[in-house]
Amino acid sequence: MMQRLRGLGATAAPIWVLTAVLLVLPFTLGGSWTFMLGLCFANSIGVLAVSMLVRYGGEVSIGHTFFTALGAYSVGILDTRYGISLWASVPLALFMGVVFGILFAWPSRNMHGIYLAVTTLALALAVPEIINNLDALTGGYEGLYVATPFVPGIEMELQRYYVALALLLAATFAVARLRLSRQGMAMLLAKTHPAAADAFGARRVWARVAVMGISGGIGAVCGAALAFSGSTVSPGGFTFWQAIFLLVGSVVSFYGLSMPRVLIGGAFVTLVPQLLSASGAWIPVFYGLALLGMILLGHYMPRIQKALAREK
Amino acid sequence: MTFWDTLLYDLFPLIWSGMITGCLYALGALGLVMIFKCSKVVNFSHGNVAGLTAFLVYGLSSGVLLSLSWGAAVVVSLLCAVAIAFLIYSIISPLVFESDLTSTIATLGFGLIAQGLTLVIFGADIVALDLPIPRFTVSVLGLLVTGYDLTVLAVAVVTIGTLFIVIDYTKLGIAFRAMSENPFAAEVCGLNLKSVHYFAWISAAILGVIGALLIVPTTFLSVTTVATFMLQAFAAAVIGGFASLPGSLVGGILVGILMNLFTFYVSPEYSSTFLLAVILVALNIFPNGILQKVGGSRV
Repeated sequence: MMQRLRGLGATAAPIWVLTAVLLVLPFTLGGSWTFMLGLCFANSIGVLAVSMLVRYGGEVSIGHTFFTALGAYSVGILDTRYGISLWASVPLALFMGVVFGILFAWPSRNMHGIYLAVTTLALALAVPEIINNLDALTGGYEGLYVATPFVPGIEMELQRYYVALALLLAATFAVARLRLSRQGMAMLLAKTHPAAADAFGARRVWARVAVMGISGGIGAVCGAALAFSGSTVSPGGFTFWQAIFLLVGSVVSFYGLSMPRVLIGGAFVTLVPQLLSASGAWIPVFYGLALLGMILLGHYMPRIQKALAREK
Repeated sequence: MTFWDTLLYDLFPLIWSGMITGCLYALGALGLVMIFKCSKVVNFSHGNVAGLTAFLVYGLSSGVLLSLSWGAAVVVSLLCAVAIAFLIYSIISPLVFESDLTSTIATLGFGLIAQGLTLVIFGADIVALDLPIPRFTVSVLGLLVTGYDLTVLAVAVVTIGTLFIVIDYTKLGIAFRAMSENPFAAEVCGLNLKSVHYFAWISAAILGVIGALLIVPTTFLSVTTVATFMLQAFAAAVIGGFASLPGSLVGGILVGILMNLFTFYVSPEYSSTFLLAVILVALNIFPNGILQKVGGSRV
C-alpha cells in the first residue's frame, strides 16, 4: 500500500506543477480568458464524470446533461430564489446527483451495459423538456442569473475562476483516492472479471449502481461549477448535443482520470465551439470526426508501435 | 354523451393511430435489434443516418439538389443509405471484434457526422416531405381509416414479413441466427462473421429509411425529427428486450399506443420524459423483454 501511495506521489508531480501554474494564471491573463478557463475547469469535471463511468463501470452515458442540469439548477434556484450561496448548494447538488444516479442505474443493474446507455439517451432528451415546462422554478428559456458571491468581498471574476478550479481539484483528487480504496478495487474487479468479483464476495449489483451514483454526483458538481463560473443557467447549456459533447471530451482525453487529461477533454468541449462559432453547422461534423479519429487512433496506435518495434 | 361513450369515441381512434405509428417504431427498432443481435453494438447513428436519407429524398425530389421524380429519389437515397451503412461498418469492423463499448461510442461519432452534414447541406429549416399516396378516408365501425394508415400498414407488413422470411428460411438468415446464438461456434463452422454483419447493418439501414419516410408526413422534416423518432424506436427495442425481433415488433406497437394515450390524456409536453419512465419501468418489470420465455433450470 505504501509503495503504491509513493507511486501516486511520483505521478502527481506534474499535477502539482500544473496546479501551481493555474493558480497564478488569472493574474497574467485578461478577463475573458479567465472566464473561459473557469468554464474549461467546470466542463473538465463533467468529462471526468463520463470517463469515470467508462473506466470503473465499463458503461457509456450520453445523458450526463441530466446531472449537470441538476447541479446547475440547484445552484441557480437556491441563489436566485433564496439567496443561498454555494456553501449549501454544492453539497445539495452532489447529494441529488448521487441519488438520481443510483435511481437511474437501478433498473438496469443486472443487465448488459447498453441498457444504461439507452436509458441515458432518454434522459438526455427529457432534460430540456423538463426544464422548459418547470419554468416557474427554472425560469424557462430565459434561465437564471447566479450573482451571489461564494466568499464576500473578493472580486467576482476571480471567484468564478478559483471556485471551478477548486472543485476540479477536489473531484480529481477524490477519484484518484477511489482507485486506492477497497471500494474502487471492487468496482474495477466487478467490471473486468465479474465471476471473480462474485467469488471474492464483491457485490456486482452494488458495484454497478455505485459507479453510476458517483459519476452522477461528479456530474452534478460539474453543473454547479458551470452555473457559478458561467454565471447563467439556461436550457441551452443542457441540450442533447451538450451530453454527447461531454462524451466526445471524454474520448478525446482517452478516458483519462488525472487532472491534466480531463483538462484536455474539458478544454476541447469548451474551446472548440468558440473557435468554430463562425461555422456552426460544421461543429457536429468536427466533433464526430474527432471522436472517430481518437477511437481509431487508440485502436491502431499500439499495433503500429508493435510493428515498428519489431522492425528494429 | 356518457363517460363510456366519450371513452370509446376517443379511445379506439387513439389506439388505432397509435398502432400505425407503432409499426413505424417497430421498423426502427428491428434495425437496432438486428445490429445488436449479431454484432453486440448499439447503433446510435441509426436515427441520424435515416434522417439524412430522408433529407436526401427531399433534396433530390424538390429541386434543392436535383429534381428527380419521387420514386427515383427514393431509389437513389436508398442506395446512399446502403452505401453509408457499408462505409460505417467497414470503418468500425476492426473495433467490433475488440470491444462493443468502443464501437458503440464510435457509432455516436457517425451520428454526429450525419447530423452535421444534414445541417450543412440542408440547413436547420423545417421542410415538408409528403408521400405520393392515395388520399381517401373510409369509416370502418366508426373508425376513420385514411389512405396513409393503410399504406403504412401495408408497407410495414410487407417489409417485416420479408425480413422474417429472409431470417427464417434463407441461408443468410440461418447464418444470422447462428451467429446471434453463438458467434464462436458459427465461426468454427465456417461462417464469415463480417459478411453476416454487413447483411445486418445494410438491412437495418433500409428499415430505417422506410420508417423515416413513412413517419415524416405525420410531422415535418427537420434535423431533429427523425432522431427523436428513433428514441421511440429505442424504447420499443428495450421493451422487446433488445435481442428479440418479434419482441421489438410488439414493443413498437405498445410504445405507439402508449405515447398516443399519454399525449392525448395527460400532456404532449412531457413525451420524452414519459418515454424515459416507460423504459425504466419496462427494464424493471421485464428485464429480458416482454416476450421472454418463462424458463427454469434443471439441477
